Amino acid sequence: MTPPAAIEDLLRELAPQVLGALARRYGQFNACEDAVQEALLAAALQWGTDGVPDNPRAWLTTVASRRLVDEWRSESARRRREEASALDPVPAEAAASDDTLTLLFLCCHPSLSPPSQVALTLRAVGGLTTTEIAKAFLVPEATMAQRISRAKQTIKAAGVSFAMPAAAELGDRLRGVLHVLYLVFNEGYTSSAGADLQRTDLTGEAIRLARLLRALAPAEGAVAGLLALMLLTDARRAARSDEYGSIIPLTEQDRSSWQHDLIAEGVALLTATLGRGPVGPYQLQAAIAAVHDEAVSDAETDWPQILALYDVLDRTSPSPIVTLNRAVAVARVHGPRAGLALLGTLDADDRLAQTHRLDAVRGHLLELAGDFPAARECYQRAANKTGSMPEQRYLALRAAQVAQSSE
Amino acid sequence: MKYILMMFGDQASMTQARSVDWIREMIRFMHTLNADLEAAGELVAAIGLADASQAKTVRIIDGMPVPSDGPFAESKESLAGYWILDVEDEARALAIAGRVVAFTQGAMEVRAVPDGPPDL
Repeated sequence: MTPPAAIEDLLRELAPQVLGALARRYGQFNACEDAVQEALLAAALQWGTDGVPDNPRAWLTTVASRRLVDEWRSESARRRREEASALDPVPAEAAASDDTLTLLFLCCHPSLSPPSQVALTLRAVGGLTTTEIAKAFLVPEATMAQRISRAKQTIKAAGVSFAMPAAAELGDRLRGVLHVLYLVFNEGYTSSAGADLQRTDLTGEAIRLARLLRALAPAEGAVAGLLALMLLTDARRAARSDEYGSIIPLTEQDRSSWQHDLIAEGVALLTATLGRGPVGPYQLQAAIAAVHDEAVSDAETDWPQILALYDVLDRTSPSPIVTLNRAVAVARVHGPRAGLALLGTLDADDRLAQTHRLDAVRGHLLELAGDFPAARECYQRAANKTGSMPEQRYLALRAAQVAQSSE
Repeated sequence: MKYILMMFGDQASMTQARSVDWIREMIRFMHTLNADLEAAGELVAAIGLADASQAKTVRIIDGMPVPSDGPFAESKESLAGYWILDVEDEARALAIAGRVVAFTQGAMEVRAVPDGPPDL
C-alpha cells in the first residue's frame, strides 16, 4: 500500500497539471477549480485503500471532468452544448508544464490583491486545502474560504482567459509571480503574528513552488535568484531558534547546524545566473545571503563585500528595508556611529515608523556603540511594537541585557 | 468546557523589574506550558498581544466611527495575552491558571466561554 504522505505528494504535484488541462479545455476556471478539489479529495480517500491507479493524472482528469459534467447537468438545458463538449476526453498528452505555468500566471493576476494571489496560488498550484492555508496564515477557515472564492469571482468578472500573458507583459507578470512566492516564503520565515517564529509549512511550499517555476522557466535569472535566496536563507533555519523557540541572532548562531547542502545548491544556482543578463534584486539578496552562509564565523564575515552588494541594491531597488539592512553593514565596516547616521535618514519614513524594525536595528547599533541606556530604550520600544511573540520576548531580553550591562 | 485565561501587565514594567535570567526562565516556562497543554489536547489558542501602548480605540463621534490612539489605562490593568483552553471542568482551568500565577506572581482572570446551543 502506498503511504499517505506519498499519495499527498503525488496529488499536490498533479493538482496544477490537472487543473491546467481542464481550464485550458473548458475555460471556466472557477468551476474547474472546484471540480479538481473534489477529485483530489476523492483520490485521497480512494487511493489509500485501493492503491494508486496506473495513470493517476488521467484518473484525476477523468473524475474532475465528470464532476464538471455533473455540475452542468444539474444546472439546466441551456448548458447542453457545453455538456456535450465536456464529454470529449481531455487530451492527456497536452504539455502539463505549460498548463502549470499558465495557471501560476492566472493565480497571480494583477486584478487580485496580493493576499488573494497568495491564497489562490497555494490552493490551485500548491494543491493545499483551504483549511491548511487558513491555518498557515492564522485566519479562520471561513475567512480564507471567502478570500479564495472572491478571488475566483474576480478572475471570472475580469474575463481573464486561460492563456499565457502576451510577450510584451510577460516580464511584469513574471515579477508578480515571483513576488507572490517571495511573500509566501517571508511569511513562513518570519511569521508576522502568533506564537511561532517560523512556519516551515509555508517556507517549504514556497521553495517547492519556486523549484517548479525554475523547471518551467529555466532561462530566467530572477527565478533562479529567488530560489537561491530561499535556499540560502532556509539553510540557517535550525540555528535560528533554541529548543524553547527563542530567537538566536545570526551573530550567535551555531554555524555547524546550517544545512550545507542547501548552501551549496543556492550558491551553484546563483553562480550560474551571473554573466547571463541583468542582475536583479533577488540575485543581489541571494548574493548577500551567500556571503553570510560562506563565512565560518561572524568575525570572519566579509562585511565590505556585503556592503558593496547593498550599495548596488540601494541604487537599483531602493526601499526603507534595504536602507535598514545597509545601515547594519555600514556599522560593521565603518563603525556603529556611521550606521546610526544612515538610520537617521529613515526617521521621516512612515512605512517604517509603524513597525518595530527601525527601533530594533537602532537598539543593536547603539549597543555596538556602547550607549546602553539608549539601546535599552530602543529595544523596549521595539518589543512594545511587534506583534510576534518570539520577537517580543527576544527584544525584551535584549533590553534587560543592555540594562544589566549599563549597571 | 472552554475557558479563557487572561494575563495582565505590560512589557515595559516586566523588563524594567526583571533580570535577564528571569526573562529566560519565563520564555522556557511559557514554551513548556504551551507544549504540555497542546499534548493534553487542551490548547485552543495561546495569544500574546502587542503592547497596550500601541492600542487604538474606535468610538462614535458625531455619528461616525473615529479611531484614536490608546486606551492609556493603567498598564497593569491592560490585557497582555490570553489562552483559550478546552478542559474537563473549571477545577482544571483554575489549576492551569494557578501554575501560571505561581510563576508570574501576577493575578489572572478565568472565565467560561459558553459553547453555542446544541445542534437540533
